[in-house]
Amino acid sequence: MATDPNSAGGQFPFERLPTGIPGLDTILRGGFLQAGIYIVRGDPGTGKTIFGNQFCFNHVAAGHCALYVTLLAETHDRMMQHMRTMSFFEPARIPDGLYYVNGFRVLEEDGIKGFIDLLRHGIRTHHATLLVLDGLIATRESSESDNDLKRFIHELQAHIAIEGCTALLLTNDGRSDYHPEHTMVDGLIELRDVLFGTQAERELEVRKLRGTDVLRGRHSFRITREGIVVYPRIEALFARPSGDDQWPDERCATGVNELDDMIGGGIPRGTTTLVLGASGSGKTSLGLHFLSKSSEQEPGLLFGFYEMPLRLRLKAARIGVKLGNLLERDQLEILWHPPTEDILDALGNRIIEAVRRRRVKRLVIDGLLGFQEIAADQPHRIGRFLTALANELRVLNVTTFYTAETRNLIGAVIEGPTIGLSTVAENLILLRYVEISSQLRRLISIVKMRDSNFDSSLREFRITSTGIELAHPFDSAEAILSGFPQLTTEELPADKAARRPRER
Amino acid sequence: MPTVLVIDDEFGIVDVLETILVDEGYRVLTACNGKQGLLRLSAEKPDVILLDFMMPILSGGKMLRAMATERDYEHIPVIMMSSLREDAVAERCKGYSAFLHKPFRAAAVLNTVARVLGRGVNDPALEL
Repeated sequence: MATDPNSAGGQFPFERLPTGIPGLDTILRGGFLQAGIYIVRGDPGTGKTIFGNQFCFNHVAAGHCALYVTLLAETHDRMMQHMRTMSFFEPARIPDGLYYVNGFRVLEEDGIKGFIDLLRHGIRTHHATLLVLDGLIATRESSESDNDLKRFIHELQAHIAIEGCTALLLTNDGRSDYHPEHTMVDGLIELRDVLFGTQAERELEVRKLRGTDVLRGRHSFRITREGIVVYPRIEALFARPSGDDQWPDERCATGVNELDDMIGGGIPRGTTTLVLGASGSGKTSLGLHFLSKSSEQEPGLLFGFYEMPLRLRLKAARIGVKLGNLLERDQLEILWHPPTEDILDALGNRIIEAVRRRRVKRLVIDGLLGFQEIAADQPHRIGRFLTALANELRVLNVTTFYTAETRNLIGAVIEGPTIGLSTVAENLILLRYVEISSQLRRLISIVKMRDSNFDSSLREFRITSTGIELAHPFDSAEAILSGFPQLTTEELPADKAARRPRER
Repeated sequence: MPTVLVIDDEFGIVDVLETILVDEGYRVLTACNGKQGLLRLSAEKPDVILLDFMMPILSGGKMLRAMATERDYEHIPVIMMSSLREDAVAERCKGYSAFLHKPFRAAAVLNTVARVLGRGVNDPALEL
């Protein structure tokens, strides 16, 4: 059992009881307070029984004992058949570590008092330091009044406190009604199944947790083969970054020498760069160059939504960027995630986990639109999500490239992504197509670069079999930013130059 | 008419066992834990006991041990029931006559009870 991390600050001297449910202990700041009494409520099918069983098996795996008391019509063998599909279910833990009993008949015949005796006896006999009571609603139905139920909670509190046992009460009673027992317990967690359009998402909310500065609000979760996995909401998790901004006075090579020359030796380390350009303009290629500089000291990560890892490797090979050795030496990792049904926070947590696991220093998130597509039903979140993610990556001293597609291939107006990364990104690189003499040519320009005297000229670039090559400053055309350049008069034949008026 | 004592904390299982055994012509007594089961035994002597392994107040294993100390009960056959594997139960208690793994089918219950009582199996197709 972990000691409360807040205790050093003199807030709460209690020990915490971790649930072992991935993500949940982060939200609970370490777990429940030991010997407290907690309610987990939700409609049928929201995952309460899995929650209770997973907590019990994790508790037993940590060397403790647990008692699971049901008041349900579902038999234990049927419940176990369902739990058997989950990886946390270890039959060998039953009955010595985890003991299942059904208390319905006792409650029915002997009432609340008899039922309290059953619980007290069970906790003591099985040395249980965790009690799960599945079906609190049956206790409510057996109570003649609210006072009876309150008395039940009160008595249970007294017994578990003296035995040092933590109690979890699972119930499916409605959300809107007033429930007097909620005022008595130490915490209340709500599980919900929410529909966004046609897509269903599971959500968990800690409505109350005494003595704990929990991560408030709704957090998504999934029921997987490993049981419940909770994804703390990125904006809440990194409302304040986990450390101080490193602000190193260093440069991070882009992998394109001429580009490094334009920006004073490279991208400022630990900053966020938005690479904005039309489809096919070279955004991913620039990202691959950046990752080609990954090393043991600067591990790289490519997190992409659209191109699968093999396709990316082939694409890199075609432009002379060799990723094979980097991947084999674990100096580079490619994670691919299609922007289909998914949870925004699952992606955010996955990125941060991958960065921390390999101490990544170079990160390319290829296709910012992927986040937008996944969060199509919660568009208001995107800006805050990206801000929190960027802040955390910054304190982890990660130099990040986001690629984002402009809507128009060519033209006077550049329509960037509607989401608010441009306010978060310290650096902005623009890739554009221009049409000159019936040919599409690519241009690169630096729009902003933190703390840098950068070369603001427009440069033509080509993507060849040996990589990205920048040409000399593009001084041979006018009105480039409109996307419809005209050759300057110096380059026109003398007769045509004389006939053509300047149109500016 | 043999008497069967069914002891299980899960009311659904007790109800369904009582129904199928009564349909088969048995007389059925019920209890919801080992303690209540011992009380029943002190009042009436059944021909066979269907005993759940995991129960509150007094488990099936503990009830079996308590029965072993009473000579009056030593000839009453006990069929242990559990959703745990039989080897896990056998490690923790001895002295039962047969084992029924939950979930079970009605035929398995009736055949086991009949076999333990030495009444033979009515329908060979239902043999375990």
